[in-house]
Amino acid sequence: MKGLVILLLMTLVFTAGCGNETPAPSQQPAEAGGIFIEGVSGGDAETLNWILASDGSSLSYASYTIGSLATYDNDWNVVLRHLAKPVEASGDGLTYTITIRDDLKWSDGTRVTAEDYVYTLKNLMFSDWLNYPYQTDWQEMVDGETIFVEVEAVDQTTFVITRQTVDPEFADNAIYNLTPYPKHIAVKYEGDVKAFTQAEEFNNLSYTGNLGPYRFKEWIRNDKYVVERNPDYYLGQEDDSPYFEQYVTKMLGTTATVHAALEAGDITYSGIDPEKVAKFTELEGINVYTVPTSAYDLVIYNMRNNGWDGLKQKEVRQALSMSIDKQAVINSIRLGFGDPAFSFIPKPSPWYTEEGVPKFGYGPLHDKKKAKEMLYAAGYGARQPDGSIAVQDKDGKPLKLTLVTTPGSRLAEDLAFLVKQELADIGIEVEVKLVPWPTLLRKHVMNKVPGSDQEPRNNNGPEAVSEEPWDFIVMVFNTHPIAPSGSRVFFSTEGGLNFWGYSNPRVDELFVNIRSKEALDIEARKSMYAELSQLIAEDQPVDFLSFPRGNHGFQANVEGIDVGMRLSWNYHKWYFSKP
Amino acid sequence: MKKAGLRGYIIKRLIYAAIITWGVVTITFVLLRVGPMSPADKYLSNMSARTQDPAQVVAAIEARYGLDKPIYEQYFDYVVNLARGDWGWSFSNSLPVVTLIRRHWVYSFQLILLSMLFSATLGILIGVFSAVKRYTRTDYLATLFSFIGISIPNFWLGIMLILIFSVQLGWFKSYYDTGLPMFSLANLKALVLPVITLGTGMMAGYTRYARSATLDNLKQDFVRTARAKGLPERVVIGKHVLRNAILPIITIIMFDLSGIVFGGAYLTEIIFGIPGLGRVSFNALFASDYPVVVTITLIGAMVVLLTNLATDIVYTRLDPRIRYD
Repeated sequence: MKGLVILLLMTLVFTAGCGNETPAPSQQPAEAGGIFIEGVSGGDAETLNWILASDGSSLSYASYTIGSLATYDNDWNVVLRHLAKPVEASGDGLTYTITIRDDLKWSDGTRVTAEDYVYTLKNLMFSDWLNYPYQTDWQEMVDGETIFVEVEAVDQTTFVITRQTVDPEFADNAIYNLTPYPKHIAVKYEGDVKAFTQAEEFNNLSYTGNLGPYRFKEWIRNDKYVVERNPDYYLGQEDDSPYFEQYVTKMLGTTATVHAALEAGDITYSGIDPEKVAKFTELEGINVYTVPTSAYDLVIYNMRNNGWDGLKQKEVRQALSMSIDKQAVINSIRLGFGDPAFSFIPKPSPWYTEEGVPKFGYGPLHDKKKAKEMLYAAGYGARQPDGSIAVQDKDGKPLKLTLVTTPGSRLAEDLAFLVKQELADIGIEVEVKLVPWPTLLRKHVMNKVPGSDQEPRNNNGPEAVSEEPWDFIVMVFNTHPIAPSGSRVFFSTEGGLNFWGYSNPRVDELFVNIRSKEALDIEARKSMYAELSQLIAEDQPVDFLSFPRGNHGFQANVEGIDVGMRLSWNYHKWYFSKP
Repeated sequence: MKKAGLRGYIIKRLIYAAIITWGVVTITFVLLRVGPMSPADKYLSNMSARTQDPAQVVAAIEARYGLDKPIYEQYFDYVVNLARGDWGWSFSNSLPVVTLIRRHWVYSFQLILLSMLFSATLGILIGVFSAVKRYTRTDYLATLFSFIGISIPNFWLGIMLILIFSVQLGWFKSYYDTGLPMFSLANLKALVLPVITLGTGMMAGYTRYARSATLDNLKQDFVRTARAKGLPERVVIGKHVLRNAILPIITIIMFDLSGIVFGGAYLTEIIFGIPGLGRVSFNALFASDYPVVVTITLIGAMVVLLTNLATDIVYTRLDPRIRYD
């Protein structure tokens, strides 16, 4: 699950892609130096004590100074970082042997050992006093009970993780992201959440030694986060990387000021809004790279008892999706920077397939006339004297449905109003309600069985309903391209985030099978994902709209960028051609 | 009598201020803690955390920040700690609140101070000049300028200034650089665009008030007398008219000052990337970071109370007819 957030983080901060195929220069700069300034318009991070963080910015800030076991390149090959060699999985898929490098050191010079990783997992991440937000990555279901995996140190550089159930994507979803805390420091705060939260070493990242390309220098809240070159960086011993003296994340309140700063040459890099891409592409001093992402926008259909009854019928959902033009979403809202989405798996994923996947809302399946006929056939229409169909509810009244989304995001609002317009064309009136996120979360997403004493959750079973009724919600989700099985939380009957009440026993079975011994065979897993994509696209519990592409503007003197979906995978090797 | 009166008056006002401050702290604390938002929201919003039991997540986060105690106990602890100088821990910044405020107040202070100086000085000068040159082209131009100044939203003005003076002309950096030494010409230069952005609207307002107040005073008998006595016009305006006209403007300036502290500077801080208290407080508000919000509200309340007190004292200096009682 942490993978989902890491992916989002990658999309928003470093981001990814493979639009312009620029070969990555392999040569080192003659002279390293300069300050790289990344301009961002969002909010600041919350903490550098990363185990407590729930936001992408915090994880991103910490990642400059303390890396993880492995990462991926643009072709989604695993690139070793703290790992000395690839993770060894046993033939039965239950045991993972992890060997870390022997040259990793904490700031006080002591060696980073396997015991630090084991301690971080067992005493911090699995503990009930810290409430690590991504515990589910390390849990499995055994005999109806949720338990943590077992972890044990073998020697100074090796530790073993043992599972009782097979999950072929466990390494991708959990192991590669693992980052250690120094046991000899953390042990002082163990069990005292307040002391751990306020521990100076963890809040100043003063312990990170040679574990990352940069070292913490300064953090002025709501202004800038500054890291400086780490001369001891373990990978830098071979190639003298990183090549910037400092890497600064500068917070500028609005995208307009970020764009102005990039144009003025005051910052080195920023994301670029679609409407500004043409302008920046023409500027001589800026290189713009357009890359695919793994996020997708969607319209969620409420199939619970407080949604419109029609949404429980597959044919009705298909008809609605057939009316919403995916190309219009890409052209009018994404301004051409997007790809149509038909399932939860993004195109660059090795598991992506279009075979047998119905493309509602695209090409021949974007057909409003046919959509009306389908609604009529489902009992939601009346034939007019001229032969046309008037879409209406079963009691003959006009259909008036409610779409909920959050205010403040132009994208969400534009999508909401496009859906409203498209459905108006087939005679369905949609009321758009913009509600703040905490309200949406509590009143529309969380649900419980009426009259019960259940605590509201995101999925409290098929009979549960949210406090406020709704029919559609517009949101953005994310999929790990290498390990899409994490999306079971959205699409399996008991999925923790399946707040819209979707259920298909075969889909549940496939999600279980994908995390079984059978799926260790790549071809078998491929066919499972193909069937999943097909079934979910056929059922249309949600209308997948588009996979947006990200646009990134760099000053032209930045070299070493390997343009692709994982744009930042080698950021420690970026440099200025003229520092 | 006068000195004793002043001391007694100040003591009385300070006692009122302490009571009001306590009221502000209590109301802000209660409103934030009984409201629907919680510091745990951000965890619930997180896709992964939401697969866990929300009740368990909320309980754990609240325990982490000491929010699991009864609200009266939290309030009592908070007030006692506040009195001891411990302003709490900022959830959204991972810092003691006192450190956060100590690091950030200066950015707001310099922006507000320079904006006030800029707007008050120019506004009063233009307003007085406009009144003296009533119904001339100069007056019409000043009037037009002040209407435009009042009407322009400062977020638009700020972005325009950046596009013209930073992007096109390259005279200024497009954002404020906190790395510059505080007392340096470079820092002053970095504040030029933010000060114009924040100060233009206020300056336009002061121009209108100064013009109106000057015109009122120009009609008074004492002005006629001064002129009849043969005093030069600059003395009549500078010594007699301005001194009387400035009183209502001081009230307005002090009122504006409290308004800016409470958030008027926020947009300017956002546009120019200035990490002042405006930005800090708004971000804290959206993160339900009540120790920060209560502290900044408290500071704002104290600024208002103290500026009001200062205004009243300045009034008595400028106008001897005004008494403390």
